[in-house]
Amino acid sequence: MPASFLDRESTVAPAGYNRFLVPPAALAVHLAIGQAYAFSTFNLPLTKLLGITHADPADWKLTDVGWTFSIAIAILGLSAAVFGHWVERVGPRKSMFTAALCFGGGFIVSAVGMHFHQLWVLYLGYGVLGGCGLGIGYISPVSTLIKWFPDRPGMATGMAIMGFGGGALIAAPLSLLLMEHFKSPISTGVLETFVTMGVIYFMYMMIGVIAVRVPAADWKPAGWVPSAKAQRLVTSANVAVDLAWRTRQFWLLWGVLCMNVTAGIGVLGQASPMIQEIFSGRVTPAAAAGFVGLLSLFNMGGRFFWATTSDYLGRRNTYMVFFLLGILLYSTVPSLGHLGYIELFVAAFAVILSMYGGGFATIPAYLRDMFGTMNVGAIHGRLLTAWSVAGVLGPVLVNYIRQFQIDHGVAKAQAYSITMYIMCGLLFVGFLCNLAMRPVDERYHYRAPKPAK
Amino acid sequence: MNFRLIVLWLVVGIPLLWGVSKTLQNALKLFT
Repeated sequence: MPASFLDRESTVAPAGYNRFLVPPAALAVHLAIGQAYAFSTFNLPLTKLLGITHADPADWKLTDVGWTFSIAIAILGLSAAVFGHWVERVGPRKSMFTAALCFGGGFIVSAVGMHFHQLWVLYLGYGVLGGCGLGIGYISPVSTLIKWFPDRPGMATGMAIMGFGGGALIAAPLSLLLMEHFKSPISTGVLETFVTMGVIYFMYMMIGVIAVRVPAADWKPAGWVPSAKAQRLVTSANVAVDLAWRTRQFWLLWGVLCMNVTAGIGVLGQASPMIQEIFSGRVTPAAAAGFVGLLSLFNMGGRFFWATTSDYLGRRNTYMVFFLLGILLYSTVPSLGHLGYIELFVAAFAVILSMYGGGFATIPAYLRDMFGTMNVGAIHGRLLTAWSVAGVLGPVLVNYIRQFQIDHGVAKAQAYSITMYIMCGLLFVGFLCNLAMRPVDERYHYRAPKPAK
Repeated sequence: MNFRLIVLWLVVGIPLLWGVSKTLQNALKLFT
């Protein structure tokens, strides 16, 4: 049976193919799904679907709408873990196409939910279906890029995962523009915006589907010779996905990612009220929005910068920098706030958020170093469950500890100090996990079955 | 230079630069 356009066999690149054609294909997918980080732009309009100019008593509550994003992020991690092996088997084109269908379709199903004003349909559409698109789309190009860039795996995956950070920078102004365009006396414009974005993102992801190629099995970059000098934490062996997650190294890396993400994600979600409360009277809501934008920019830039740096510094050393510098910065932030050094405060959080993004972007190359390239996409998928956990843990820590302190009489400006010290503790746990990293035991290494005689 | 390479990088680069410029415009409000 001839291979279909979506099959892995149809995507094998011919000899002489320019490998720099592959990162934009991956970026097209990641820039689209990165929209998830800008979902909050829909929160308020979604609470006025019936009242249009005000929230009608029958309208959805903000807290209920807020669950949509949480469900999407939880499903992201779960779907990456569940479908990781399938993604590895069918190749990047079919999995990117599935991601495009799920992500674009999620917007359309959500629009149907808005039309009938059924919140569960919104959860099902953007949360579950869209979340599957996020998870499958996130891991689809990772192992392909690692195979195309064995000499610079950090840079290659950093480039793609940078797109996930950059997607929000595009989606936030795009959503506002579209909602303004579709707004009318009988509509907030959010339903029409969802339909339009579903179509736009599906088509944009299709650019990646069409452009992506996998290298031939024996392909190597011209003139590249694998380093003969053995590096202790870079393996030349492979570990199968079903064995990888039983190793100590998998769970240490899970801890490394979870702690690094928890320390950043809570701050990212609370950045706007935090800076306004710490510098009360000095930072307006508009300036606070600028702070959030600046953090998103560093989150994106850090993904490329730190992942590329890890190719030279080594993966473990790069995470050591994240954890040690993170502890130093988090422990000084409360003092910077009390002393009123707003520029230094902003700079400290910009660096923290660059390392948050860098943690996401460097982990695929770290997995490649520990478990080899054979099943790196599937292993990455399972590791992303750490993100799901951190996505709940980070905001809960920041929000609840702040509220607890305010309820016990602590001034709002001081209510974040304890949280920052707790973040230092989390980063220290991550540091210990990273410090304990050793090569994977040989008994887990993959051995090809011997041919039958 | 490969024409396809330029087109593909422009397709991802232009929206990204637009998003970055919009974000920077907002971020400047922090220091004004």
